[in-house]
Amino acid sequence: MRNNVRERRSARGLSQGDLGDALGVSRQTINAIETERYTPSLPLAIGLARFFGTSVEEVFHVDGNGRKA
Amino acid sequence: MSTATGGKRDVMHSKWTVPAFSVVMGLVLLGANIVGHQLVLGLWSLGILVVFGGAVALGGRSETIRGLRGDGRDERFAMLDLQATAVAGLAVLIAVIVAFIVEVARGHSGEPYDWLGAIGGLAYLAAVIVLRVRG
Repeated sequence: MRNNVRERRSARGLSQGDLGDALGVSRQTINAIETERYTPSLPLAIGLARFFGTSVEEVFHVDGNGRKA
Repeated sequence: MSTATGGKRDVMHSKWTVPAFSVVMGLVLLGANIVGHQLVLGLWSLGILVVFGGAVALGGRSETIRGLRGDGRDERFAMLDLQATAVAGLAVLIAVIVAFIVEVARGHSGEPYDWLGAIGGLAYLAAVIVLRVRG
């Protein structure tokens, strides 16, 4: 799932470890989300959006109509 | 495990849970081997599990070690753990089925692989039903 976590994190001058600590997950998990190797759970996605002061839809983007092929 | 809260979560996420469990299992195996008059085998079992527990406890901060240990476990590692458990279970089930077929082909009854396979199949069905009911 496409997302702009890396851009938002970088804009705040945070490391992956800083963001992971703030959300209670590992640095590797933040990296996996940013590189789109891992789709976070809904609670974590909401946590990320709240951390950045925005909505989930502004952080995560589903290609097409959002349905799996 | 991922839904555990409070004290239970603290215990499951303690870095000492897996090492302590390894040592306890080693002692249990030592006791069983002593009862079975196989002291040397029991000491080997205890030694292997103590070394494993020590490696997990003192294994540094790699994500794999911390995930196995429990203190670095988050939702992604819980998912990895779930998938790894499924792969391990599938490997065991395939081994049991192959062993059962080989035993039957040799003219044996297939024990104990028949009931081991039955346990695996019934446990899977029970888990599907319970998980479906829980939603």
